[in-house]
Amino acid sequence: MMDFSNEQLQRYSRHIILQDVGVEGQEKLLKSSVLIIGTGGLGTPAAQFLAAAGVGKVGLVDADKVELSNLQRQVLHHTTDVGKLKVESAKEKINSMNPDVEVKTYPYYLTSQNIKEVIREYDFVIDGTDNFPAKFLINDACVIEGKPLSHAGIIKFGGQVTTIVPGGDTPCYRCMFPQPPKPGSVPSCKEAGVIGVMGGVVGTIQATEAIKYILDKGELLTGKLLTYDALKMEFRKINLKKRDNCGICSDDPEIKELIDYEQGACEL
Amino acid sequence: MEVEVRLFATLRSILAKEDRGVGIVDIEEGSSVDDLIEYLEIPRDIPLIIMINGQRKSEESLLKEGDRVGIFPPVGGG
Repeated sequence: MMDFSNEQLQRYSRHIILQDVGVEGQEKLLKSSVLIIGTGGLGTPAAQFLAAAGVGKVGLVDADKVELSNLQRQVLHHTTDVGKLKVESAKEKINSMNPDVEVKTYPYYLTSQNIKEVIREYDFVIDGTDNFPAKFLINDACVIEGKPLSHAGIIKFGGQVTTIVPGGDTPCYRCMFPQPPKPGSVPSCKEAGVIGVMGGVVGTIQATEAIKYILDKGELLTGKLLTYDALKMEFRKINLKKRDNCGICSDDPEIKELIDYEQGACEL
Repeated sequence: MEVEVRLFATLRSILAKEDRGVGIVDIEEGSSVDDLIEYLEIPRDIPLIIMINGQRKSEESLLKEGDRVGIFPPVGGG
């Protein structure tokens, strides 16, 4: 067992007294690694809570710089960060929040060429991206690499989230939606808007799933799509099964190589 | 026949005049989910999860009086 410093015992005391965490669970968290792809609406709250929880290594992927229009929902970035790389802005805040966390930054977009080697380094992946080409790429890469993933999407006053643990009975994102919608047929947050708190609620659910996976406690959102409607303040969980003819996670998948789908012009 | 339709996420504005994405739709006897999608003018290039009375069904499934139909599009924002 690792030696906890007095500071660590104090910092994580509210975890340590939990029956489902304890010293063993906190040690698991400190030895774990989570990759967060997209440090925006979903990714920043997820990063914040995972870092506070003492996840030992947090990877942050994003090529974008902080813009003023991000600040209404991307709470880790401040006004003084505008123009800075999002991954750098997030890293600074995490470093000052919890020195136990090693932050690794990837200031570029993941593609079919580089995604597999990046996700391989981590225990769990959080998809906080804002477009379908990235969401399908991440799903497919995680299925191929056998990497557990929390997928989520948010728009307007709504969100959806699921957890995928490849290799078993868990349906993947492609079992739910076989292919991305045609570019432009489903609006992005930039076009349709999103209420600022949405990323906080859904990104925090993603962080919760990562923590439960690491601790091996509770039931994950595997085989379930959780939808959140903030206007009705309603959560719904629908049960979904693996699709026999899924293009990526079936026994004889049609997709052999990762695909870089074209981005809708308005999403760029 | 009448079916209860719930549209989620970006589709809910299609039934905006009803109770925020929920509405009773009067559709011809013997209609399929596909016919319902056509009737609601949901764009055909969006993959959908169709739930009928809590079970995932295909777009070819036939509807019957009183069915509860939930239609979920993918959500791509972050």
